[in-house]
Amino acid sequence: MSLVNYATREITCKIVYYGPGRSGKTTNLHYIYGQVPEDRKGKMVSLATQTDRTLFFDFLPLDLGTISGFTTKFQLYTVPGQVYYQTTRKLVLQGADGVVFVADSQARQLEENIESFQDLHANLAEQGIDARAVPLVIQYNKQDLPRDLILTPAELNDALNFRGVPEFGADALHGPGVFETLRSISELVLKRLSQPVK
Amino acid sequence: MSITAVEPWVEIPLRKFVEEARTVLGLLLHPSGQVVAQFGFARAVDVMSACALAAAIHASAGELGKQLEGKPFRGLHHPGRDRQLYLAEAATPRGTFIFLTVFDQESSLGLVRLYFDEFCKSLAAAAPPAPRRVEPVIEERFEQELNRNLAALFGRG
Repeated sequence: MSLVNYATREITCKIVYYGPGRSGKTTNLHYIYGQVPEDRKGKMVSLATQTDRTLFFDFLPLDLGTISGFTTKFQLYTVPGQVYYQTTRKLVLQGADGVVFVADSQARQLEENIESFQDLHANLAEQGIDARAVPLVIQYNKQDLPRDLILTPAELNDALNFRGVPEFGADALHGPGVFETLRSISELVLKRLSQPVK
Repeated sequence: MSITAVEPWVEIPLRKFVEEARTVLGLLLHPSGQVVAQFGFARAVDVMSACALAAAIHASAGELGKQLEGKPFRGLHHPGRDRQLYLAEAATPRGTFIFLTVFDQESSLGLVRLYFDEFCKSLAAAAPPAPRRVEPVIEERFEQELNRNLAALFGRG
């Protein structure tokens, strides 16, 4: 749940980038890190293996500026995508206010995408969270690869986006789609704070 | 020592701990990595990184303990050359928090543990019932501000 400090008028939200191994979660954070001015970001922390695969998580704190008089801070996390890091994925997902699912658009990765998406839902359910209630955005990364290697966003939607959540094609390495994804998940997360709790 | 607390009720117990245990840095956080209070840090963004790492240590030590001994490890002490680190859980009626503190030769592990136990008791006693938010926190039409801030952040302003 977003942390709201009424005394200092600060909001802190946790956003987790989820998805199969090598889909581009860390690349999203690296791109964001490279774009944001020094005074608006903290150190990017990466707990990675010797081959640069995410071992525990990547973490990037961002100062989003003032919204409705509240200083708004986002904590961006990635999870390790490899199947065998199931336990760490659960730990990082704990307390997430929103999730970005980064899918690999390559046709040969479709099964991994579906498996990881199911894993996300199972892990949310295990924490007693209704997956339908969690702000979620899907990013179809690597849309810059040759057409014959990838699936289109429409084809990927058929396989993954049964909730009809916002989706974006992206090339996280060079930037297209990264900003739009972050903007969309930020909006969904903050929207929850703009509505009365029933 | 300047203390910044997101939840005001933690401030008095924390101040007492800082004064008595004479530690140099401290963080109280949610297990999800969200900061509740801190002292000794210069930049808010550094606090967030430290929280993320402390939550990770706590979570992984807990999981490792469960797998090895059937129950989570609840505390961690790391003796560095000049400074030492102590990390442990503090249970309160508002839920469990993680406490991380760093100390130097002005203090000792024994002293930190002794005052940490007292800190846990006073924290539990000070914890009010969890408030239930009913009113919106931010305005309904926040999108314009969000878009402007994000555009500025990405140099698109």
